[in-house]
Order: sequence, then structure tokens, then C-alpha cells
Amino acid sequence: MRFEFNGTPVEARPGDTVASALYRAGQRVFSRSFKYHRPRGLLCGAGKCPNCLMQVDGVPNVRVCVTPARDGLVVRHQHAYPSLDFDWLSLAQRFDAFLPVGWYYKTFRSHALWRAAEPFIRRAAGLGVVPADPAGEYEHAFRQADVAVIGGGPSGLEAALAHAGAGSEVVLVDDQPELGGHRRYRKRAGPEPTDLIARVRSHPAISVLAGAYCFGLYEGNLLGVVQPAPHARCRERLLHLRAAHVVVATGVYEAPLLFPNNDLVGVMLSTAAQRLIHLHGLPPGKRAAVIGRGVRAEEVLADLRSAGVETHLLIAPEEVERAEGAASVSALRARGERFPCDVVVVCGHLVPDAGLLSQAGARLDWNAQVGAFCPAGLPPTMSAAGEVTGAGLSAAAPLPAPVAPHKRAFVCVCTDATTQDLCDALGEGFDHMETLKRYTTTTMGPCQGRMCQLNAIAVCARQTGRGMQETGVTTSRPPNPGVTLGALAGPRHHPIRRTPLHHQHADRGAVWLDMGEWKRPRYYRTAASSDETTCVRAEYAAVRQRVGLIDVSTLGKLEVRGRDAGRLLDKVYTHRFSDLAVGRARYATLCDDHGILLDDGTISRLAEDRYFLTTTTGNLDFVEQWLLWWLAGTGQHVHIANVTGGLAAVNLAGPLARDTLRKLTALDLGSQAFSYMACRQAEVAGIPAILLRIGFVGETGWEIHVPAECGPDLWDALLDAGREFGIRPFGVEAQRLLRLEKKHVIIGVDTDALTTPYEAGLNWVVRREKEDFIGRHALSGSPRSPRRESLVGLVVEGEQTPEDGSAVMINGRPAGRVTSARFSPHVGAPIALAWAPEAKAVEGARVEVRIRGRAVTARVTLEAFYDPEGARLRA
Amino acid sequence: MDELFQSRRMWRRHELKPHYDVAIVGAGVHGLATAYYLAKEHGVRKVALLEKGYLGCGSSGRNTAILRSNYRTVEGIPFYELSLKLYEQMSAELGWNVLFSQCGHLTLAHNDSGVAGLRVRAENNQLLGVDSRIIYPAEIRRLVPALDVSSGAHWPILAALYHPPGGIIRHDAVVWGYARACDALGVEIHPFTEVTGMETARGRVERVRTTRGDLAAGAVVNCTAGWASTVSQMAGVPLPIVTHPLQACVTEPLKPFLHHVIVSATLHVYVNQTDKGELVIGAEIDPYQSYSFRGTLPTLEQMATYTLELFPQLHGLRVLRQWAGVCDITPDFAPIIGRAEDVVNFYMDVGWGTYGFKAAPGSGKLLAALIATGRAPELLEPFAPGRFRQGRLVGEKAAAAVSH
Repeated sequence: MRFEFNGTPVEARPGDTVASALYRAGQRVFSRSFKYHRPRGLLCGAGKCPNCLMQVDGVPNVRVCVTPARDGLVVRHQHAYPSLDFDWLSLAQRFDAFLPVGWYYKTFRSHALWRAAEPFIRRAAGLGVVPADPAGEYEHAFRQADVAVIGGGPSGLEAALAHAGAGSEVVLVDDQPELGGHRRYRKRAGPEPTDLIARVRSHPAISVLAGAYCFGLYEGNLLGVVQPAPHARCRERLLHLRAAHVVVATGVYEAPLLFPNNDLVGVMLSTAAQRLIHLHGLPPGKRAAVIGRGVRAEEVLADLRSAGVETHLLIAPEEVERAEGAASVSALRARGERFPCDVVVVCGHLVPDAGLLSQAGARLDWNAQVGAFCPAGLPPTMSAAGEVTGAGLSAAAPLPAPVAPHKRAFVCVCTDATTQDLCDALGEGFDHMETLKRYTTTTMGPCQGRMCQLNAIAVCARQTGRGMQETGVTTSRPPNPGVTLGALAGPRHHPIRRTPLHHQHADRGAVWLDMGEWKRPRYYRTAASSDETTCVRAEYAAVRQRVGLIDVSTLGKLEVRGRDAGRLLDKVYTHRFSDLAVGRARYATLCDDHGILLDDGTISRLAEDRYFLTTTTGNLDFVEQWLLWWLAGTGQHVHIANVTGGLAAVNLAGPLARDTLRKLTALDLGSQAFSYMACRQAEVAGIPAILLRIGFVGETGWEIHVPAECGPDLWDALLDAGREFGIRPFGVEAQRLLRLEKKHVIIGVDTDALTTPYEAGLNWVVRREKEDFIGRHALSGSPRSPRRESLVGLVVEGEQTPEDGSAVMINGRPAGRVTSARFSPHVGAPIALAWAPEAKAVEGARVEVRIRGRAVTARVTLEAFYDPEGARLRA
Repeated sequence: MDELFQSRRMWRRHELKPHYDVAIVGAGVHGLATAYYLAKEHGVRKVALLEKGYLGCGSSGRNTAILRSNYRTVEGIPFYELSLKLYEQMSAELGWNVLFSQCGHLTLAHNDSGVAGLRVRAENNQLLGVDSRIIYPAEIRRLVPALDVSSGAHWPILAALYHPPGGIIRHDAVVWGYARACDALGVEIHPFTEVTGMETARGRVERVRTTRGDLAAGAVVNCTAGWASTVSQMAGVPLPIVTHPLQACVTEPLKPFLHHVIVSATLHVYVNQTDKGELVIGAEIDPYQSYSFRGTLPTLEQMATYTLELFPQLHGLRVLRQWAGVCDITPDFAPIIGRAEDVVNFYMDVGWGTYGFKAAPGSGKLLAALIATGRAPELLEPFAPGRFRQGRLVGEKAAAAVSH
């Protein structure tokens, strides 16, 4: 196995991580620190510290100490110029006197100075670089279990077996490639639990997810679990695991001790050394100084010796004076002596990994005997097992630590905050852990506080004279460990919805318009022209003079049935529908409690207990949920069925629409027999259909709904029948123009989040005398009373058509806005719908419209621009 | 420069006194700004700031620190513009760098109606003297090469509202800068002093009860967020406010690649890169009412999804933290500032929804003027508490919903 590091091939053995292979190859510097660019080597060996972040296959900030080595990986260092061994920016250390904690707040104390300095500071910061590669396959999966056990050490294994034995279905999640927890590398702490592992592996009620990490525990015991590379085509899978009970058996992790130069390359935590020895067969160095005391330190000392490392006698934490060395450690100074070495092994604080418990609401109480914050007050659906509870721990070093402020004793290895920095910040009044954290940025780096939090609390407690418990921990927030945006986003599907008539449109040269997920024809290119204006004008002319056909299948379509259907609609819509006669249709608007327009459509009564509703394209889901919401708990007999996908719909409109349709149906289409706002069920071209005599575009017309699979046949039949009359399909753009001439409002385009029906000129849709409906209270006043602005029509002088959204002005001050504007062939001038102050909502009033920065006069009109009496609509 | 080499307490500790001229509930950025201007411009220095947690523990320390003034309405635009100008002068005025990075702010539109919505803002901004204009894909690509403006994208970027003076600031630095300046002017800052109740009589707040003792004050000011309605209720003032959580997250640092604030209202997401290199990503408010500070997985996933729609190359970047704040939402998405209608010495600066931080200096300055002089400055009038009774809503709702 071989991968590439900074262009050089590196051999790797089975079981190697990228870091262990590099270490074997002699690499000791793995990164440069964030602020001072100090060289940094392996520290935790467990993916918890920021010291081994590298760019792997283009992905930035990868913890290479837990990244399995694979053939062909391309690994590069990051955040060092030009190389890890020599970094120009490490000169920053020389100027540390000018870079105390919060230095940037105290320098550049004017906006201009900061604007000049900021780009340079910005360039020096950051870690990895953004990859150019947009590829990345991620999956989401969902799973439920009776019990989830987090952690595959001895306690987790026992908990899993106990729960499974009691009849529960158990999922065991462990972040290591093999089960066994710390016993895999702390061989002298106890035997490897091979028997437990075998029993867990073979138990039918236990599923094991090894090599997967849990990054958060959310409301309702929802665990976020990431499984790296579950199969060849997937980088990461995010498993949403919901368990009735969660057992946290995450054990402890090791955190550094505070002494000057505690960050030198070669200073590593004891568990990192043990991992190198036992998991990778690598002695961490030639000569080691071991800091620690008690059984655990003896254990580490023995491990080092058996790996062939020459060791000094144990050095107690409080005896340490400082580590020495230029780039990497050359000696440890303690109790007045100098101990030459190439590696300092630190038996650090063992910190219960209680983040998940804390996220779920458990307290973390200080236990001085074990020198740790231990979980307490667990919610009833959770339990903890093993070392995470604090059981079996003993304090590594006295806490709070006796700290002398020192500029090279690093508390936070992520952002280079030192004991000096913390003490300075405390002196400035940042004496609460949360403010200390924010001012010094301690605990806010990539280690998420694991390396630094305990030491920071100890420093704070010591300096303020408060106890550890009173000082307290900062809030634990998910995700911890961090999780990639890709895993969170999962597979990125972009559904596209096509109407049943999609291929008809494509064949006719449709130019598409995206409306949410839907594709609709904006207009149709023809053999003669593909210019939008020309085509739209021709489509417009066909509808006004002859007959046109448009696909309106995207309209939301709901069937509301049952003996109380009318009552529900009376409650939800502003108009009354219980008195609608069978065979009639009515315009319908929907408001919220504040009387603000939410949606509109038509409601037709097909039978005594059967209503057919249409909604706007974008609001279907909302309207369906809104109806269900207001139905819930009422005990009314109503069924609501969403039939949108099951029906195709077209609108046939124009003076010759009747002649066209007459050829395909036996229905009497006369203006008396099938009058405006009537509805019928009949066959059209042999297809069962619902016909509504309505007219959004302002001409004689029918909206025809048929089963989706018959849509193409209906479309073709109508075009065939209309050929002799000069029929033409028209798109959304022509429809927008046609309806604008009629001043028909589009909710959400001409209205906004504060528009009431009164302001939109729809007074007649509100039945204030109704006993109750949503928005009644807000709309109970006079339609004319507290109205600030009104939706009016404008005829604009000159040739230029305003763009949608242009300002309406009075004396150069903004006074309203244009919502829709087009050039009207009928008026022969640009027309618009616009919001204007109430005082200007008078026929013939003058306002100004701002077109490309220039004020143009416009005349207010309150009537429709086209056929204000509606004669053509009713004809 | 001297300050670089000495460490001095930025704000001192005080015993709580029995009487103050003004007691401000909430020592977030709004409370601090109000106290600062009371002391500095009106000589009102016997002021106590009562904060239930540490300084900046509420929305002041939880927002995504985006500043802009490209609002939609004639009421909103000058109001936010005043704050933006004060933010520009803040570092020099306070002698403390608040790290205002005036990097420019882009609001993207992915469909025709989105473009029209942006144009309404651009037009009103220009008419009222705010630097703001619509730009199209060629210019967007030049400004933000990292952004996917290819026409094949699922959410094509048709246009953007470009607002060069907008940017981001270090929110904690603003809190600390104000606190330091308040302390120097004699204002008392009382962290960990929770207001637990108020006694009112004859239309006045007579006493304020706190966890550290009672006090009386000539004027009592509610500058809280998240609990604005419960604090006002203590004075017997009901508010038409609902409270929703708002979530955000931050990623590991990257070398600088994004130099503007990018907002997409359609995608309910806003992204910027801090000077440290982290990406700060914010979401739309949660759809339900709650006082919970606990982040949720679906919202985090949504933030990630929408961020990758705009920047697909970031899929391997890790999120380090997610958090939530709580937002007080009024019926018209505009704040409530002014004196309570029926309690003569009770003032409010609340209901800031998701956009309070960017307005703090201006509202603090104007509110201080109102408290000190008894007259409401003209810019405050549209936001008076009585407007809901009178049906005079401010039309900011259409623009404010997600445009941070």
C-alpha cells in the first residue's frame, strides 16, 4: 500500500492510519499552529486535537491520525508556507509582545485602519483550502432501536448484552475500526474483552456499527451517526438513529497538562504513544521522559520500555518546569534537572466524554477525587456506563492547576491561547467561562474544547478564587465531533415535475419556465420566429381575436367531499360556499388570522356533497395542510383528496373557443345554458371531463380537467378542432399579459405578506356577515378604513415599460411599487399593476414611475384595461 | 497602543443601589447602546443595566453579525442606515476595534418574482440614498468566483441585490466595546442580576425586583430579546409577540475564499466567511414557537443542503457547532420601540425578530433621546407600541423574513 505525501510516496502497512505511516516514515511535524505557526506533531492520536489536520484528496482539515491509509491517497500539508519544516509565518512568534489576547480589538481602532489591515490578517488565517472538486456522494439512512449503545469498550459491550438479554433490540455504535475500546491499546489496563466481543458479534438482537461516530443527541433521543465509506460509491452515510433508550459508554479521552512549551513536537499524550505502540507497532521515539504518577503512568512506562524506548524515571506533573527544544523537543526540565529526550509522554487529564449526555440535559458536576466533571441528573431515557461516569478514574494532576502565566504554556492548541492570555483576559474582567471563551477563543477551535476546556476552567478557577464547580463548563453543542456538510445534506435530489402534456409542449418548441419544481412553457417558438416578444405577441393575438389553449395542469386540485364540506370551506375561505348551487363555481380567497391574503383559486360544487377546488401552483401543499389543520378535531364529515397529479387541465379561451369546443362535446355551450361561472361534468372528445366556465385571461373560455393519462388526447383533439379557427397554444408569458389587461391579481406577485383583500381591491370576496371564518376579526372593519395603500392600474407615458418591482414616486419620494408591468397591445402603451398611496387611488390621478433611474408620468386607472364590463368574458 | 500592554477591567463590579434614574432590563447590545447614549449625549449617568446572565449571553452573542441597511420600506431604510453609519464610526468612537468588515452583501434571486422583490428594495434604497443595486450573473461571477452561477444549477442565480456597505462585525466586540464605554461614563453593569418582577401603581413602575434585591427607577426600559413579552408583562403591558428559535452553525476554518455575505431568501440560508476562516451559516426561523436553545438535526441538515446548493465544492467541510437563539416576532416583522401606552415610565425596545443586532446603535440613540427628552424622534414614530391597536403596520414583513 502506498500513498503520496507532498509529492513523495509513503509506504503503509495494513491497519495503518495516514499518520502512523507518516510517523514510520520519519515525519514528525504534522501541522503548523493557527496563530504563531509553531510546528506541531502528533498529540492525541485519536482524532480529537487539531495537530494532524491535512488536506487529503483535496478535502481540507482531515484528521490523518484516524484516517485509514489507502492506496493512492493524495495527502498534502496545509497552513504552512512554504513547508511544514520551514514556515515564514512562524516569525509571528517574534512579535508576540504585540499580539496579546484580544490584540486585534486594541489595535486598528478606526474603521479606515481596520479596512486596510483586515485583508492581510484574513490571508494569514484559515486552515485548509477549498477543493475545486464538487463531487461527493453521501447517503442518508434511518433506523429505530429499543436501545442504542454508544461506545464499544468493555462497558458498552456489557450494556449491549444486558439490554439484548432483556429482550431489547440493540444498536451498538463505536468509532474505532475494531471493538474493544481502550483495551485495544492499553494492554496493561486489563485483558482485551474478546469474549464479550464475540458474544456481541454473534447476538441476533445486536447490530454493530463499528467505525461509525455519533455526533449529536437531539430531542427525542435522535442520534446523528456518521458511517464513513459504507460502500465504494459513498463517502459518508448519515444514519438517523432513534432509540427509546440510549446508553452512553463513550469512556474518557486524554487532555494535555500545562507547562511551558507543552506544544513542542514530540510532546504527546500517553494514549497517543500507546496507540503507536500497540496498534501500529511503532516506538514513539528513542528516549522518552514520562510525566505522570500512579498506576497509569507505570503502565505507560512499561509499554515504552517493552517497545524498546529508553526512559527516564517518572516525573510528577507538578515537578515539570518546561520542555526544551527548537522545533521538536530535546529535553524536559524538571525538579532542577535536565532530562534529554526526543519524546515527552504526558499522562494527561482523563476527561469523561460526556458531550452526548450534556446535550440531552445532564449536568456535569465537579468531582475533585477523580479530577473530572462527571455527568449527573441524566434524563430517564438515558444512562451512562463505564469511565464516562467517572468510575475508576483518579486525578492525573492537581486541579485547579497552579499556573504561572506563561507565554508558551498553551491552553488552546487550536488558536494558540496561552496561560498568559487567559490570565490577561481574566484581569480584564472576562471572568466567566463563557466570556473567557469568547474573548480568548479557547474551546472554539477544531478540537471543540476537548484539549483545552478542563485546563481553561482550572486557570479560571485558580485566578478568580472560585471552585471548579462554580466556574463550571461551557455549553456542549452538537455536532461533536464535527460532521461534513455533505453528510448533513445527504443525497441532493432535485425533483422535476412535468405536466401530462409535457411532450406536447416540447414538440411544439416550448421555451421552459421553472415554477418551483414544475416546468411550464414560457412561450412557444415557431418556424417563423424564436424571439420572445414576437411569439408572445402572436399568442396574445390568437387568444384575443380567435382561440388559444394553455396547459394549466400545474394548478393545485383538491376534492373536498362529505356532508360538512361546505361548512369547512365557509370557515377557511372568506367567501361563503355552503350556499353555492350545484353546477356553479365561485372565486375563492384564503386569509390568515391577520386578514392577509394567502391564496386564491376557484371552488366548484359538482354535487351536493362534492366540491372541486383549485389552488395556485405553488400553494397546493399549504392549502391542503391548512384545510386538514382546520378540519382536525372538529368532528366534521369531510374528506380531502389531493387530485393534482391525477388530472390534466387546459384552458381554452377566445372568441372562437365555443366554436372549437362545440365540435367535441354534446354539451349545450350557449351562454344561457352554460353561463359564466358555471361548471359541468361531461365528455369532451370522448373523455370524461370537468368543465369550468371561467376566464383568467378575460375571454369566453373553459377550464377543462380530465384524467392525466387522457391529457395528451384532449390537447391534440382541441388543437385539431380549433385548426380551422386559427387556434394557437399559448404560454405563461402571454397569459400574464392577458390577465394584466384584465387586472386579475396573482397572489404572491401582486400581493405581499401584508396585503388584505380590501387593499387588493377584492372587497366582494369577503363575506363579513358570515358567523366565522379565518381572518374575520381582522377584516371586520370597513373595507375602506385603515388602508395605507391600494392596488391600482397604471398607464405609463412613453415607450419604456417599467420592470416589475420599479418604484412608484410622488415628488421624487418612494410611495409605492410596480408589481407587474407589460406593454399592452390593447391600450397601446405600457400598463402596470402597482401599489400607490390611498390618496392616489383615484381614477385619472398622476404618479411617477421610476424607469432605469428616470421618473416617468403614469395615470391611475381603477378599472380593468380590457373589457371592464366583462362582456367578452360572459359572451 | 498602551492598552495593548496593560490589562485593566473593562467593566467594574458594583453593589446594586436602591434607586437609579434609568434601569435597563437586558445588557445586550440594545440595552448597552441605550445606556451609552443616555450617558454620553444626555448626561443621564445614574443608569443600571440588569442582565440575567453574562454579558452578551442572549441574542447579541448568538446572531450571525450581519450588518446592512438595504431594507424595503421608507420607514425601515433610514432607520437601519442610521445604525450602519454609527457602526462605521464605532471603532473610532469607542477606541475599540469592533472588527466591522464592510465586505459587501449580496441577496440572490432564483426566479422572476425574486428579482422583482429585489428591485423594489433597490429602487427604494437608491431613492433614499443607500448604496444598493441589482447586478446580474456576469458581475456576480466576478465578485464571488466561488459561487455556482452556472445556468444548469438547480437554483439558477438570475440576479442579486448588491449592497457594498453591508458586511459582518464581531458581535461580542460590540458588546464589550459598549460595556467598556458605558463603564467609563459611570453606567453600572450588573451581570447575573435577573429581573423577577415589577410593581406598578398609578400607571408607573414603582419597583423592580431582581435576584440581587429591589430597586426603583425614574424610567424602566425593556431591552430584552427572547423574553420581551414576559418582561413587559411584569409591567402589565401585553405585547403581540410570538417567540421562535433561530438556528445557525459554524464550520472549521478554511483559507479565505468568500469575501461577501451571501443570502438567498428562496433557499432560506445566509453564508459568510469570518476573518478566522470559519463559515458562518444561518437558517430561517424554526416554524414553531419555542424558547429552546437546543439545536435540531433537520435544521442543521437544511442549512448544509442549501449551502451546498450555492457552494457544492464545500461538501467535505466540517460543521463544528450549531446553536440556537430565540427571536421575538411581531405581526409586521418590525420592532416595537417607544413608551408603553398605559405605563408612563416604562419604555420598550423589543420585538426585533431576526434583525435586531444590525439596528442596535440607531435604536439605542433614538430611544435614549426619547427617554431623556420625552419626545419621540421622527424615525421612531412608525414603530410605536400603539400601532397594532391603530392598525398601522409597517410593511417590512415582505423583505425581512429571511434577509439577514
